[in-house]
Amino acid sequence: MTGSILIIAAFMIIPLIVGLVSSRQLQDTSEDFFVQGRAMGSVAVFFTVAATWWSAFAFLGSNATFYTSGPVYLTALAWNLLFGFMYYWIGKRVWYLGKRFNYLTPSDLLGDFYNSEALRVLVAVITLVFTVPYLQIQLTGGAYLIEVASGGVVPFWLAALLFYFIIIVYVWVGGIRAIAWTDVIYGALLFFGMMFAGYYISGQVGGPVELFARLSASSPEHLTMPGPNGNMGYGMWFSLFMIVAIGAFMGPQIWLRMYSVKSGRLFNLMPFLLGLAAFAYFGSVLTGYTGVLLEPGLENADQVLPVMLMNYAPYLLASLIMAAGAAAAMSTANSQIHAVSTVVTMDIYQRYVNRNASQSRIVFIGRLSLVGFSLAAYIMALTVPGLLVTIGIAALAGTAQLIVPTIGAITWRRAHPMAAFWGLVAGVSCVLWLTYGADISNPLGLHAGIWGLIINTTLFVVLSLALERRDHDVVERFDQARQDYVAEYHPEQCDGRQTVVGDANQAR
Amino acid sequence: FTTRKLTIYGGLLLGFIMLESPLILVANQVEPMIMGIPFLFVWNLFWWAFLTVLFLVAYLTNWSNRDS
Repeated sequence: MTGSILIIAAFMIIPLIVGLVSSRQLQDTSEDFFVQGRAMGSVAVFFTVAATWWSAFAFLGSNATFYTSGPVYLTALAWNLLFGFMYYWIGKRVWYLGKRFNYLTPSDLLGDFYNSEALRVLVAVITLVFTVPYLQIQLTGGAYLIEVASGGVVPFWLAALLFYFIIIVYVWVGGIRAIAWTDVIYGALLFFGMMFAGYYISGQVGGPVELFARLSASSPEHLTMPGPNGNMGYGMWFSLFMIVAIGAFMGPQIWLRMYSVKSGRLFNLMPFLLGLAAFAYFGSVLTGYTGVLLEPGLENADQVLPVMLMNYAPYLLASLIMAAGAAAAMSTANSQIHAVSTVVTMDIYQRYVNRNASQSRIVFIGRLSLVGFSLAAYIMALTVPGLLVTIGIAALAGTAQLIVPTIGAITWRRAHPMAAFWGLVAGVSCVLWLTYGADISNPLGLHAGIWGLIINTTLFVVLSLALERRDHDVVERFDQARQDYVAEYHPEQCDGRQTVVGDANQAR
Repeated sequence: FTTRKLTIYGGLLLGFIMLESPLILVANQVEPMIMGIPFLFVWNLFWWAFLTVLFLVAYLTNWSNRDS
């Protein structure tokens, strides 16, 4: 027990030290606090993107889904690859425009290209409303693991409070730089934890081959779709692939990790690295399926990993792996708290409350927002129940709707502000109605988020083709930026067009 | 579209079709087990490896000078 408490204490204290050390490099400017002066290096970028994107949803939810619903979560291999591809193809263009026009938030890019205050506010509201529930599940998952690992010495409410206190301290002093540095530790720990947990736990039934042999004899429906409950077929396989990858990619925390990158060449490599990391999900396959054999009938499937560890692993090893799970939650929560504080500070405070705020004032407001959103998520974690994956997918379906106007902004000069606004309104309304209001939640087996994307895209394309933009100066400015991007990174596509570089500050 | 670019994007399209189109239902079975692993899992592993290696090839082939 003492060893377990020491592991948890180290897990809590090390990020604090890393954050405090990193804060020595902090300059008191919004660009440094929010996007590290757009100078984040390759190791930090990979780990902070991977650790931000792999959350309690991945660490606990994946085991739970294999345990209850069969192989549908295996589509995570493909959604990791899709996320990586989007980080290259969309992310590099967003990074280029962000560097050129000094963007910090999703609203900055979309509000500028579509030249619409209404759209700017709508995007800020969507990012805030749908990020907070996802933040809540990190806290729920992480605090639960700390409670179990400490043998109940640290109760859930205190674990959650400690969890947030530590995040607030190191993000307050170090901004995104502190997050990226701690994410290197968290990322390494979570990938080790997922893989080793699966390897160790499946060893209790004789290893992976024996596990599959026993499962195919006793519960073969766990090995094929639609799973033992018959509700996780191809529709959900495809829905998860689209919604999880796009929804996570469009979260404000990932936008910051596009804007922060130092070199465009790093975007070329990230799909490979993120795809390779997906192998860790085989740890979850082994953990979830071993649970089917050894611990059938658990009331809360999210507890399958901690229950198995406590029953079949040495106490110290169990605590270490659960600390890795808490790392998965913490490395996502820290990024989300920081991202929503960026949105509040830049999209609401600086734009509508105090346009002439000094740099130090903006950073101070950003820090206050950290505390406010942490408190909201803490209260939700204590009061709102629900399975991690269920809440997580509903939240991701909302942020996923932002992909439509984003692709429009980086590729299509005809993309119209009215089309972007009403497409988003219709897409998000569809998600909310099918999730909380309709009699049938997944028509034709497809998740609400997919139906939202279909309606959103249709409205966006039809209205953009029907309407014509009159703000030709904005359209031309972005046209020029897109041409310069092609000249810079795809010179074989150039046909001798003129290019211009370096018109930052034009947008803000 | 250079030949290399067509190869990379064509390979990506093939991989994602194999993993996410209704073709996955053809692979949705336990038998034949390969090295003790159910066929659905082997299918996913194979195409995941295919796409991951393709991403490495894409990086090595850049999918004169200023980047940072």
